[in-house]
Amino acid sequence: MATTDVDYFGQDRRERLMREKVQDRWMDAYAPVRHLDPVLVFTALSLAVIGIAMIYSATYHRLQLEGLPAGALATRQMISLAVATVAMVMTAVVDYRYFRAYSPVIYLGSLVLLLLVLTPLGVDANGAQRWISFGGFNLQPSELAKVAVIVALAALLHERKGEPGVMTILFALVLVSIPMVLIFLEPDLGTMIVFVWLTFVLLLVGGVQARYMLGLGLAGLGAVIAAFKLDLLADYQIARLTAFLDPGNEALARTTQYNANQSLIAIGSGQITGKGFLAGSQTNLSYVPENHTDFIFTVVGEEFGFLGALVVLGLFAILLWRGLRIAALAKDLFGTLLAAGAVGLFTLQIFVNVGMTIGIMPVTGIPLPFVSFGGTSLIISFTLIGLMLNVHMRRF
Amino acid sequence: MSNEQSSTLRLTLLTLIMAGLLVALISRLWFLQVLAGERFAQLAESNRVRFVVLEAPRGRILADDGQELVKNRPAQTISAHPRELLNGLGEPRNEEAEAVLGRLSMLLGLDHDEIIRRLLSRRYSPFRPVPIAEDVGPEVIFAVTEHQELFRGVVAETLPVRTYPFGTAAAHAVGYLGEISEEELELEAFAGYRPGDLIGWAGLEKTYESELHGTEGLRKLEVNASGTVLQELGRRDPIRGNDVQTTLDVELQEAVERILQDGIEASRLIKRRDGRFLPSVAGSAVVLDPRDGGVKAIVSWPTFDPAEFVGGVSHDYWGFLNDGENQYPLINRAIQSTYPPGSVFKTVSGSAAMIAGHVTPSTRISCPPAWSLGGITFRNWNTRHEGALDLTDALMRSCDTYFYQLAYDQWLREQNQIANDGSTEEVLQTTAFGFGFGRTLGIDLPSERPGVIPGREWRLQYWERTKETTCRKAEEAEPGTYAERLYNELCQDGFRWRGGDAVNSSIGQGDVLVTPLQVAVSYAAIANGGTLIAPHLGDRIIAPDGELVRVIEPEVLGELPVTPEQLRALQVGLEKVVMNGRGTARGAFAGFPTDQIPVAGKTGTAELKPKVPYAWFAAYAPANDPQYVVVVSVEQGGGGSQTAAPIARRILEVAFGLEETPFREGPRTD
Repeated sequence: MATTDVDYFGQDRRERLMREKVQDRWMDAYAPVRHLDPVLVFTALSLAVIGIAMIYSATYHRLQLEGLPAGALATRQMISLAVATVAMVMTAVVDYRYFRAYSPVIYLGSLVLLLLVLTPLGVDANGAQRWISFGGFNLQPSELAKVAVIVALAALLHERKGEPGVMTILFALVLVSIPMVLIFLEPDLGTMIVFVWLTFVLLLVGGVQARYMLGLGLAGLGAVIAAFKLDLLADYQIARLTAFLDPGNEALARTTQYNANQSLIAIGSGQITGKGFLAGSQTNLSYVPENHTDFIFTVVGEEFGFLGALVVLGLFAILLWRGLRIAALAKDLFGTLLAAGAVGLFTLQIFVNVGMTIGIMPVTGIPLPFVSFGGTSLIISFTLIGLMLNVHMRRF
Repeated sequence: MSNEQSSTLRLTLLTLIMAGLLVALISRLWFLQVLAGERFAQLAESNRVRFVVLEAPRGRILADDGQELVKNRPAQTISAHPRELLNGLGEPRNEEAEAVLGRLSMLLGLDHDEIIRRLLSRRYSPFRPVPIAEDVGPEVIFAVTEHQELFRGVVAETLPVRTYPFGTAAAHAVGYLGEISEEELELEAFAGYRPGDLIGWAGLEKTYESELHGTEGLRKLEVNASGTVLQELGRRDPIRGNDVQTTLDVELQEAVERILQDGIEASRLIKRRDGRFLPSVAGSAVVLDPRDGGVKAIVSWPTFDPAEFVGGVSHDYWGFLNDGENQYPLINRAIQSTYPPGSVFKTVSGSAAMIAGHVTPSTRISCPPAWSLGGITFRNWNTRHEGALDLTDALMRSCDTYFYQLAYDQWLREQNQIANDGSTEEVLQTTAFGFGFGRTLGIDLPSERPGVIPGREWRLQYWERTKETTCRKAEEAEPGTYAERLYNELCQDGFRWRGGDAVNSSIGQGDVLVTPLQVAVSYAAIANGGTLIAPHLGDRIIAPDGELVRVIEPEVLGELPVTPEQLRALQVGLEKVVMNGRGTARGAFAGFPTDQIPVAGKTGTAELKPKVPYAWFAAYAPANDPQYVVVVSVEQGGGGSQTAAPIARRILEVAFGLEETPFREGPRTD
C-alpha cells in the first residue's frame, strides 16, 4: 500500500511536472497574445462598422437611382474589412523586430510600387495617376509607402539609439524625399503633407535635438514658400489650398468652394442630435460630393449631429490614447517609433479630413481612417493597428 | 537627461499637440452644429426643395354673342434648359454647349447672343426649359427631335399663346400683351407678379388685367444635387383667368373696319377745289348702343396686328408702328386723339343758347353768309343768304352765322356779369361738360383723353403757360409783319377771352378739342332722351367653368342740361339734317330707306389750318327708336358730308341688315 502510495505520489508529481512543462511551452508560445490590447482592437473595429453604416447611408439612394443594389458599396467595404482584419492579424503575429531587419526591403518594395503607378500600369482618375490595378483590385501604393516610411525611419532612428546626429537627420530626409518626389509626380498633394508630418513626428520622438527640429521647421517653411513662388503647384492645387481662406471669392465659390460649402451645410444642419440615420437630405440627395469617401464625416455630422460627431471623435481619441500608451510602454525605440508613427499618421489624417469637412483645412484627398470607403486605406489602417498590437504584445 | 525620460517627454509633447488638434475640431463642430446649426438647417432645406411655377392660362376676350375675339392656342416652341447650356456667369458651359448654341442660331435664324439673352430670362424657374422661339415650323421641330444628340438640352414643346380668331379685328379694343416692366413690378396692382410675366399693355387686355391674368400654380419639388427631380412634395394647380365678355358685335366690328378703310380710300379719289386729292390720312369710327352705352364697334384706322406681339414684337414691326409716316397705327383714335369737332358741336352750342335764354326752339335768327365783329369777318360755309332760321333749321343747314350771333350775345352778357358781380359762369363750358365734353367718360380702355372746352380760366392758364414762347417769338419776328402783330397781341393780351374766341368755339372751332367717343356719347344721350351713359366694352366676367362672376353695369353719368322741349328741338334738327331735302347729309343718304329706318345726324367739317379739314359725321338710328349711334371722323378727309357721312351711312346699312351701297362722291356741304 505504502509503495503504492509512494509510487502514486511520485508518479503524480512527475506527471504533474511534465504536464506543467508542456503547459509552460504552450504558455510561452501564447505569451504575446496574453498582452493583446482588446480596447484598441475593439475601437478600430467599431469605427470600421460605423464607417460601413455611413457608407450605406451616403450611397444607398444614389445606387438605387442607378438601378444598383442599395448596399453594393457597403458590402464591398465589409469585404475590405474582412481582408483588413486578416492583414491586422498577420502584421501582429510576426515579431515586429523582423520588420526592422527587413526594413530596407519593405522600403525599396514600396518605391517599386510607386514607380509602377507612373508606368502605363497606373490607373488614371480625375487627372491624377494614383492607383495600380491587380486584376480588379485597385492598390494605392502611396498608402503602402506611408507604412514603409514609418518602418524605415523607425529602423534608422533605432540604430542611432535615440541620439541622431546631423548625418542621420539628413539620411532620414533623403529616405522620405524619394517617395515624396514620386508621389508629387502622381500628383497627390495631400499625401505629401502626410509625409512631411510623419517626418516631423518620427524625428521628434526619435530624439532629434530641439535646435535641429527648429532648423528643419524653418527649412520646411522655406520649401512651402518656394513651391508657391516657383510655380511648382498647379493652379487648381493652389486654388484648393487657399479657397478655404477666402470664402467670399465668387469664382472659386462655384468650383472648389462648392464641396466645402455643401459639406458645411450638411454638418451644420445636423445640429445637436442630427436628422437620423438615412434621413440627411444633404447626404441622400448627393449635395456633398464624395460623401462616401473623403467627405464621409458629413454623413456623421448631418445624420447624428454634434453628439454623433463627438462619439466618432471620442473613439478616435481612445484609439490614439491606446497608441500613445503602446509607444510609451514599448520595449525598444523601434517599437516606440512604430507606434508613434502610426498614431501620428492617424492624427494627421483625422485632423486634415475632419478639418476639411468643417472648413478649417483645405480640401485634399485624404480619407478618414477606418471610416472612409476604400479598401487600401482600410487595410493600411488595420495593418498599422496590427503593428501597434505587435509592439504591445512583445513589450517585455 | 536619460533616453527614457527624453522619450517620455517627447511623447507627452506629441500628446499635447494631438489634444490641441482634437479640441480645435470639437470647438469648430460646436460652432457649426450648435451655434449656427439653425441657419445651416435652413440652407439644407432650401437646397432640397425647389418651387416651379405653373403658369395660368389667360382668360379669353369674347364678343357679345360669345365668339372668341382672343383666346389661347398651343404653339410649337423650341425651348432649352439654361443649366445644360450656360454656366453661372451666363456663358456657354463648354464646347458642346457652344456648338449647340451655334446650331440653334442657324436653325432659328436668331443671333447667338439673343438666344443667350432669352435663356437668361428670369421669367422661368430653372427647372423648366426656357422658350427661345415660339411658333416655329415643323422642320425645326423635326430637326431638334430627330437629332437630340446635336441639340443636347434643347426641347420642342407646346405652350399656350394668345391667338386672334378674327385676325386684326378690334385690335385697338382688345389690345396686346407685353412683358411687365421693373417699375410696374413695384406697384401694388402687380403684387404677386414676377419678372418676365406677360401683362396687358393696351386695350381690354390692360383694363381687365386682373380678371384675365389667372392665378399661377406652384409645384414643390424635391431635387438632388444634379437637379434631378425626385418627388413632388406638393402642388397647387393654376387657375385660368376669367373670360371678359364684351358688348362688341364682331361682325359689325369687322364690317365697320372694312367700310372705314374703303370709305377713306374712296375719299382719296376726291379732288379738292385746288385740284389736289383729299389726303384722308387716318380715321376712326365708333358704334354705340345709346340705350346702355355698350360699344358695338370701335375702329381706328390705320390698324395693327396684335398677333405680331405674340412672343415679343419684332424690331421691324415695332419700328413700323412708331413711324410717323404710318400715322402711328397703335393709337386708338376713337379715344386717344382729340380733334376740333366742327359743326357736330352745334348741338352743344345750340343747347347753350337755349339754356341761356337767347333763343327758344322756335326763335328765328338771320343766317347771312358773313358776320363781322370788330372789323373781323366770320363767314358761313355757304355763300348764299339762307334767310331767318329756327334752331332745327340752323342745325339742318349747319348755319354758322346763326351760332355766331348767339355766342356773341352770351359772351357780352358774361363780360357784363363779370364786371357787375364777378360771376364767372360760362354757359358753353358747363353745357359742353353736361354733354360729356372736356372730361374723360370712363370707358374701360386705357389712355382715354379728356379734350378741351376752352373758356376764360382756361385761356388765362394757357397764356401763362405759353407767354414766354409767344413773347420771345414776338421779339424775334420781323417788325411790321402779321406774325409780329399776332405774337405781340398774344404776348400782351393773350389772357383775354375775346368775343371772337366765343364765336369760334360755338361752331366747334378755335381751341375746342374732342374725341370721337365723346361725340358718340353726347349723341347717344340726345338719342336716348337725355341720359349721359358711360361707354363700356366689358359686359360680364365669366369664370373658366362658365359661371357668371359679375355683370358690368352701365354707369349713368348724368342727364343732359336741357328741357325735354329743347332736347326735342335738337332731335328734330338732327333728323332734318339727314331726312329733309335741304339737310346737309341728305345727299349722302340719297337712296337710304329713311322711311323705314329714320336717321338723325350731323355733319362736321373742322378747320385746322393749314391742314385739309377734318371730316365728321355723327348719327343715330332709327331716329324714333334709337338702337345705334355711329360717329365717323376722318383726319384731313375734307367735308363731313363728303367723306364721313357716306361711311356712316354704310355702317348703318350693315347694322340694319340692308344692302350695302357702293361709295360715291358725296355733295360738298358742311
